[in-house]
Amino acid sequence: MNNSRKIWEKPWDYTEGFIVAGGIALAGTLLQFPLGNINPVDFGSPVNIIIGALFVAGLLCCHFLLKGNYIVGWLSSVRSTLPALLVMLLFIVILGLTPQFTIYEPQEHLPGNIFSRMGWYRMTTSWTFVFLCFYMLTILGFTLLKKARKLQSWRRLGFYLNHLGLFIALLGGLLGSGDLQRFTMTVAEGNTEWRAQDASGNIRELPVAIELDTFKIEEYPPKLVVIDNRTGKILPENRPESYMFEAIGKTTQLNGNTIELLEYIPQAAIVRDSVFTNVVPMPMDGAATALKVRVTNPSLKEPVEGWVSNGSYMFPYQVLYIDEATSVAMPVQEVKKYTSQVTVFTKAGHTEKAGIEVNKPLSMEDWIIYQYSYDESMGKYSKTSVFELVRDPWLKVVYTGIFMLLAGALFLFIAGPRK
Amino acid sequence: MTWDHFIYFALPAVLLWIAASALALQSPKKLLPTLLTILGLGVFFSFIIGLWISLERPPLRTMGETRLWYSFFLPVAGLITYQRWKYRWILSFSTILSAVFIAVNIVKPDIHNKVLMPALQSPWFAPHVIIYMFSYAILGAVTLIALYYLVREKKIPDKERIMDMADNLVYVGIAFITMGMLMGAIWAKEAWGHYWSWDPKETWAAATWLGYLIYIHYRLRKTSKNKISAIMLICAFVLLQVCWYGVNYLPSAQGRSVHTYSVR
Ligand code: HEM
Repeated sequence: MNNSRKIWEKPWDYTEGFIVAGGIALAGTLLQFPLGNINPVDFGSPVNIIIGALFVAGLLCCHFLLKGNYIVGWLSSVRSTLPALLVMLLFIVILGLTPQFTIYEPQEHLPGNIFSRMGWYRMTTSWTFVFLCFYMLTILGFTLLKKARKLQSWRRLGFYLNHLGLFIALLGGLLGSGDLQRFTMTVAEGNTEWRAQDASGNIRELPVAIELDTFKIEEYPPKLVVIDNRTGKILPENRPESYMFEAIGKTTQLNGNTIELLEYIPQAAIVRDSVFTNVVPMPMDGAATALKVRVTNPSLKEPVEGWVSNGSYMFPYQVLYIDEATSVAMPVQEVKKYTSQVTVFTKAGHTEKAGIEVNKPLSMEDWIIYQYSYDESMGKYSKTSVFELVRDPWLKVVYTGIFMLLAGALFLFIAGPRK
Repeated sequence: MTWDHFIYFALPAVLLWIAASALALQSPKKLLPTLLTILGLGVFFSFIIGLWISLERPPLRTMGETRLWYSFFLPVAGLITYQRWKYRWILSFSTILSAVFIAVNIVKPDIHNKVLMPALQSPWFAPHVIIYMFSYAILGAVTLIALYYLVREKKIPDKERIMDMADNLVYVGIAFITMGMLMGAIWAKEAWGHYWSWDPKETWAAATWLGYLIYIHYRLRKTSKNKISAIMLICAFVLLQVCWYGVNYLPSAQGRSVHTYSVR
C-alpha cells in the first residue's frame, strides 16, 4: 500500500470504503429524522416488485454501460466489501444491545432520546439499516457480475452459490417484508371463525376459516420444590432443585429435606374450611393436581405431612409449611404438547381436516396456519385455541437463496481457502 | 444415567486424550494418538447417550448440556485438524480447552430435567444445535491459534503455516455456522411462522457470522496483516460468546428472547 496516498486519490482502499459506507449510513439517518421508520406495509406489492426490478436493472445497466468504470470496479472488490461489512456489523451490534420495539408500538412508549429519533429502537425498519442492506446488495451484485465474465471453475461455483444465494435471500427477504401478512385467530371449541386480528389490533375477514373440533393439552408430570416463604423463590437459591413426580412411595431430597410421596390425585378437588383441608378425587374440568407428602429433616421434631397442589382456575394452590422459613410447593406444570384438531375451509372451496401443533403447521393454499396459544387463564382446561396465519408470497424466493447458501457452505467446507 | 455419573466418564476420557496428545507431540506416527483420541471420544459419547436415554430427550437444551457437546466436539475438531493438516500440537490444545469445559460442568453441574418445550420438539432441534456446537468447537480452536500467534509472534518460525491453519479452520467453522444458522431459519419458519425475526439470539448469530465473513474477506487480499487477522479472529469469537450465552445476561434481551431455555 502506498502510504503517501491522499484520500480519494486512486486506488481507493479501505479508507474510502469507510467513508462511503459511513456516508450511506448517514444518508439513511438524515432521512430517518423527517420520515420516521419504514412501515413495510407501504412497500407491499407492486411497489416492492418495482423497486426490486429497478434495483436489479440499475445494477445491470451500471455493469454493462459503464464498462471499466472505476467506481463500479471498486464496488466489486474487497476494498469496499470490508468496510461495508464492518459498518453493517456495527449496526447489528447496536441492534443487539438496544431493546427493540415493533413498528406498532406508539412512539411515546419508546425512550425519548436522540437514538430513538435515529431509529435505533426499531433498527430493522430504519432507513439507515435498509440503506446499508442495499449497499451490501449493490456490492454483492457488482461482484457477481464481474466474476461472471471470467472463466468458470469448480471453485467459482462455490463462490456463486454463496454470493448469489445471499443476494437472493437478502433481497427477497427485504422486499418480501412488504407483502408479509400475519394474523392471529382465536377459535372456541365447536366454532368456526373467519375473522382474525393483525398486529395493530385491526379485525379482518380472511379467505380461510378454521373450525376447532377439539383442543387438547398434555402436561409433564407435576414437580415438587422447596420455596422460601418470604420471597417465594425456589431453594437453594443458587441452584434451584426440583423433583418431577414418578410414582407413589418414592422419596426425594430437596434443599436438605427428605420428602416421601404418599398419595397422588391427578384430578382433585381441594375443599378448605377454617381448620381442615380436604382433598378428594374429582374427575372433571377444573380439577387440580394434588400430592400428599411427608417431610423430614434433622431440625424437625416430627415429620410434617400434608397436601401440595398447584391449583387450577377453580382451586387455589396449596403449599405445605415445613417450618417458619420454608414450604413444599408445586409449580405450574409444564406443557408437553398442545394440539388443535381442526377443519379448515377456504373461500376457494377447499376443506381439510388436520391436527395442528407447535412445529406442525398446516399449509393451505398460500396460508400457513400455526398453533400459537390458548386461553392461559384456563390452563389445561382451555376451550379456545389461538392460531397464527401467515402469508408470505416471497418465501420461495428466500428459500431458493437459503438452499443455495446451504450448498455453498458445503463448498466452503470441501474446497477451503484459496491458496 | 445422570450428571452424578459424569465424572466417571469424563475423567477416563480426558486421561485418554492427554495420553494421545503426549504421544502426538513425541512422535510423528499418527495411528496411536488417533486411536486413543477416538477411544476417549467413545467413552465420552457413551455418557451423552446415557444422559439422552435417561432424559428421554436430546441433551441439548440447557447451558450445561451444550457445554457437554462442546467438550465432545473440541477433540473431534482437534483430531480432524491433526489428520488433515498434521499439526502435532493441536491435540494438546483441544484437550486443554475441552478439559476446561468439562471442569465447568463438574463444578457447576446441570439439573436433571426432562422438560422439552413444544417449540423445541422438532427434527431440526438436534442437527441445528449439534452443527452449531461443532462449529463453535472449530472456531474455539481457531481462537487458540490466534492467541498463540499474538503471544508468540516474534518466536514463531513459520508464520504463514500458522495463518494457513487458521484460514483452513475458519472455512470449516463458517461452513458449519452457516448451515447451523440456515437450519435454524428453516426451523424458525416451522415453529414461529417466520424465518428471521431479529430476536436477540438471532441478531448476535448474524453478528458472529458477519465477524467471520469479515475475516474471510480480509484474508483474500495479499496486503492483509497477520496481526490484524488474529485480532479479528478474537473479536469474532467474542461475538460468538455473546451469541452462545451472553444474550442470557444482556439487559436488552431480558424477557424478550424466545431462545432462552435455561432452567430458572
Ligand atoms: C454482503 C455480503 C458479501 C459481499 C459484499 C461479498 C463480497 C466479496 C468480494 C468483493 C469478493 C472478492 C472477489 C474476488 O475478487 O476474488 C468476495 C470473495 C469471496 N467471498 Fe464474499 N461477499 C459477501 C458474502 C459472502 C458470503 C456469504 C460468503 C460465504 C459464506 C462469502 C465468501 C467469499 C469467498 C469464499 C470469496 C473468495 C472467492 C474466490 O475464491 O474467488 N462472501 N466476496
